[in-house]
Amino acid sequence: MKMPGMLGMRKRGIAGMAINRGVRSGMASKIIGPWDWIIAPALISLALTIVLATAFQPFGFYLPEPVSPFILAFAWPLIRPSYIAPFVLGALGMFLDFFWGAPLGFWTLGLMLVYASLITARTFIIGQEWIVVFGIFLLAELAFFGLCILLTTIDTGFVPRIWGVVEQAFATMLLFPVVLYLLEKYVHTDVRFQ
Amino acid sequence: MAYGDNNKHFEHLKLPMTWAVMGIVGVVCVGAALLFLGDHREEVEPASFANRAGFDGVASLPDKALSLPVHAVGDGTNWLDDYLFAVRENRVLKRKVAELSQYRDLYTEEKDINARYEKLLNLRTEPAVEAVTARSVAVSRGPFANNRLINAGSSKKITFGNPVITEHGLVGRVIGVSPDVSRVLMVTDVTSNVPVMILRSDARAMMRGDGGGYPKLDFVRGKESVKVGDQILSSGDGGIFPRGLPVGEAVKGVDGVWRVRLYSNRSAIDFVKVLLFKDFSQLPNADTLLRTPAVSDVLPPPALPPVQAAQSSASSSSASSGAASSATGSSAGAASASPVKPPVVKPKPKPVMPRPAATSASSAAPAVEPDLKPFVPPAAPTGQN
Repeated sequence: MKMPGMLGMRKRGIAGMAINRGVRSGMASKIIGPWDWIIAPALISLALTIVLATAFQPFGFYLPEPVSPFILAFAWPLIRPSYIAPFVLGALGMFLDFFWGAPLGFWTLGLMLVYASLITARTFIIGQEWIVVFGIFLLAELAFFGLCILLTTIDTGFVPRIWGVVEQAFATMLLFPVVLYLLEKYVHTDVRFQ
Repeated sequence: MAYGDNNKHFEHLKLPMTWAVMGIVGVVCVGAALLFLGDHREEVEPASFANRAGFDGVASLPDKALSLPVHAVGDGTNWLDDYLFAVRENRVLKRKVAELSQYRDLYTEEKDINARYEKLLNLRTEPAVEAVTARSVAVSRGPFANNRLINAGSSKKITFGNPVITEHGLVGRVIGVSPDVSRVLMVTDVTSNVPVMILRSDARAMMRGDGGGYPKLDFVRGKESVKVGDQILSSGDGGIFPRGLPVGEAVKGVDGVWRVRLYSNRSAIDFVKVLLFKDFSQLPNADTLLRTPAVSDVLPPPALPPVQAAQSSASSSSASSGAASSATGSSAGAASASPVKPPVVKPKPKPVMPRPAATSASSAAPAVEPDLKPFVPPAAPTGQN
């Protein structure tokens, strides 16, 4: 599942530091809580959304506007099933609805579709090569933005500009390495879910 | 307590947990669907966005903080640019001042003439609209929603529906207001519909956003009503936007649909101006209108055309015959009772149009004015006792 040249932080070490192979520290690092893989990434996603919404046009171009919670909706069900993750994902969707001015429930429905689809197909995706995961990521993006187009058409009666949807999907696709990083870091980390 | 392989506390959680998570996902989906069905964003009414005012007030704080260094850097680069290119800019500005001076004099003259015409014609002119300047702090520019947060709100008398413009043209309108922050619906949003007019042909159309930078022009009628490069202004129909705000230029998309190249996209939208415009209720009231002099008091009475003697006699005879016929009709029922019968006048039928000339010689003769008289219907035969 690794991309070429990607070893992960734990195996490579930081700045050439020696990897700590102590028994107690190794076991302790294999028990992760919701803060590590749910709350902290959700806060980072929220901060990224706010930062990229700054009214700033460098060289006349707008900042990209990726749907960063989509990355979490893709990675969380692959890491493990969780009771907290759907609620946090729903809260992130509500935040996007309010912050971007979409109808309430718009982004939540799309994110939940991705989460529910992947949690049912989890066992078929875990352990595959990164290119396979990337293909499934593109399929999930297609379903996600297709549902967004459908909901917008239902809500307003007009189809939004498709090229704009492609642009936003492309900006979201650029965050795919974050999915690989999360999977590499958390999928096999906790011994309780081996 | 057992340790090692016998400790399998989480083994039984795998399948039930997946199903339980799916149940949670279903509950969240049902809640989101209910919210979605209950939110009528397409109506663009104050109630649709009233529940978001508190969120906008809080969410704008980090973007305000983030925009500070951005604005500082932007102002600094502008200052440096002004300093480095001051000489060249000074030359350009001098040339422009020389060109515009003559237009200024012409403008003053035309404005004076226009004011006189308005007074003479007793026109109902629109009053000056107050404006509030604000700065954009956050923007949502995706295909599904185009909004913008500005750092001015109800504390500066901004209300729902106020139009927002830049120095170039129309940007959108206010759809959400909190004390210090307002949410602006861009004209490019999929829910935005702006009634516009084409300046050249005065044709009306509806500019509809689709999430992109080039809104569509809908309901365009006529082949020549729109041409490439025509200037698009707000028409004022519906009363949401005042008439005459510059919007953009007409362009034809690759799909053959008329679109608008927005003037507001000429540069980054930083400072905006919120017009405190409240549809037709801001027009002058009756007292204000009555203070202006009536046109009959200002202009001399219109000159009447000279009346010829022949025409006046004909008109008087026809008037008398008309009066006689009306008297006949009115007294038909009581004819037997009246001792004196009024004279019945039978008008001679005459062609409505003059006959065409029979020969070329007669056509060469001077044209004779046809004796035109008002048509009088023949009197109904009265009962002969």
